[in-house]
Amino acid sequence: MTTLTAGTTLPATRRTVPLFRLYRAELRWIFRRPRTLVVLGLLAVIPAIIAIALAVGGTPEGPPGEQGGDSLFATAAGNALVLPIAALTAGLALLLPLVTAMSAGDAIAGELAHGTLRGWLLAPVGRGRLLVVKTLGVATFTLAAVLVMAVVGVVAGLAMNGTGGLFTLNGTTLSFAAALGKVALAAGWVTLQLWAVGAVALAISACTEHPMLVVVSVLAGTILSTVLLQLSAVDWLHPFLLPQSWEALVDVLRDPMPGDMLGQGAIRASCYVVIGLSLAYARITTRDG
Amino acid sequence: MTTSFEVEAGASGEAPARPSALAARTRGLRKVYRGTVAVDQVDLEVPEGAVLGMLGPNGSGKTTTIRMLLGLVRPTEGEVELLGHRMPEQAPSALPYVGALVEGPGFHPFLSGRENLRRLAAAEPQLSFSDIPQAVEDALERVGLGGAAHRRYRGYSLGMKQRLGLAGALLVPRRMVVLDEPTNGLDPAGTREIRKIIAELHAEGVTVLVSSHLLAEVEATCTHVAVLHDGTVVAQGELDELLESGNDGLLVSTPDGDRALEVLRENRISSRLAPEGVRADITTATAPQVVAALVHGGVEVHEVKRERTGLEDLFARLTQNDADADGLSEVDEVRA
Repeated sequence: MTTLTAGTTLPATRRTVPLFRLYRAELRWIFRRPRTLVVLGLLAVIPAIIAIALAVGGTPEGPPGEQGGDSLFATAAGNALVLPIAALTAGLALLLPLVTAMSAGDAIAGELAHGTLRGWLLAPVGRGRLLVVKTLGVATFTLAAVLVMAVVGVVAGLAMNGTGGLFTLNGTTLSFAAALGKVALAAGWVTLQLWAVGAVALAISACTEHPMLVVVSVLAGTILSTVLLQLSAVDWLHPFLLPQSWEALVDVLRDPMPGDMLGQGAIRASCYVVIGLSLAYARITTRDG
Repeated sequence: MTTSFEVEAGASGEAPARPSALAARTRGLRKVYRGTVAVDQVDLEVPEGAVLGMLGPNGSGKTTTIRMLLGLVRPTEGEVELLGHRMPEQAPSALPYVGALVEGPGFHPFLSGRENLRRLAAAEPQLSFSDIPQAVEDALERVGLGGAAHRRYRGYSLGMKQRLGLAGALLVPRRMVVLDEPTNGLDPAGTREIRKIIAELHAEGVTVLVSSHLLAEVEATCTHVAVLHDGTVVAQGELDELLESGNDGLLVSTPDGDRALEVLRENRISSRLAPEGVRADITTATAPQVVAALVHGGVEVHEVKRERTGLEDLFARLTQNDADADGLSEVDEVRA
């Protein structure tokens, strides 16, 4: 009885599961979750509501070409290109970071709270691989969220204005393809900014069992950064704050496009991604599961 | 008292123990959580093919020990070996062959039982991608959840959740299965089914480690027992030996108790009346001598068996404070 399995050699089996299989299972889990679908639905509604409000509200008051939210929205009323960008700018200010934080909070802290992370750890999935899968999941969800907003924004903009009014803030007209390219560029840039948020959120998520804490931390961080950016007394701090370049998104609407701020923002976001994921890795590999 | 148990259990075990025949072993295991010592000096040995019941009051360190055994928690001190691999460093070599249900079932409420298992199976290195659906269905059938597999986990009863957890541990053929309180929340029928599954695993040669605070359950299913108290192992060994150790009585059932007493006294074997006959002391005489004496003396002997402590008594004796234990042993003597 005791010797039955003691000396026998086991059939050679793979010790690890292909990463893609785990990624697939992770996506299945993310996109089957009712919360995910509700959030994506809400994100789709926002550009649509803005479009309806602009259509009902009538002609814009201010002259086009000025920076800032109001004038941007006003411009959107007569310009199909502006609506998706305006929606993304509005979303990036608070809503999209929150949605990212929610996803990152569920990814580790939420799974830990449900006791479901244990199942994969015991399979076993190595902790480094687990973080890779979780990161890819959050990144994919964030990309989906941005794409939903952008696509609905483009469709709503076209429904409102047709393809006729595709011009930049400087007044030059764009071809339809060039306009779509600009929207895609904006969507990609916003996604990168959100990945930065997501990396930090994953680091927080690896430290707690409460997904809500992740959301609150990101909310607090975003608001605090925005406030600090208004204070010139701490301007030495500004280059380190992620939202520093978020206003630059409107630059994609200019012709020629000023790339300084956008490039700076992309570099800053990449630094955040590296630092956030490093912290998350350090924590997830040492914590008791 | 506790030390004498350990010595006896160790000494009376099959003398030259094969070192390779252990499915799991811990040595000097210690875990401190923020200044609180959860377990200390745990030397646990799980023989291959055994069904080892881990007994202990709440907070005695059962779950912490199991978590360290599975590499979920890094020990503060000490070593863990699981299927011959050091944990947690060599977890990828050991864990694919170990199924576990730890700290209750953990599943996503918004997914069905089947979807939950598929997610779990996706991470199982022993399963190829195309085998996943079949493995999931088999595991569901095995625990009797086939009919409820499509329902959301949210709506499962406690017993069904527990069974789904068990299904997760049995997704692929294992060499060892670790079950932490598997019958929590199960009705008597469910408990019987778990027992049946443990017996099946045992028959297949799978090593089973089951923690429980239900003594009857352990007594019914286990071949080995380890008793934990205050974070240390106070006794371990084969169940039968543990129950017999510390007892030196032979129970003889006979309709003619007085005559038996007389015969035994003549043979200088101390004895006294017991409910169904006599209890003979075998510290000086051996069991065959007692039987021979009785038969030669013309006493009708219906049945002879070693006196056993109930697991409950043993458990109480091992896990009580010294003061309480003294009082209890007096009671034991009176009863015996």
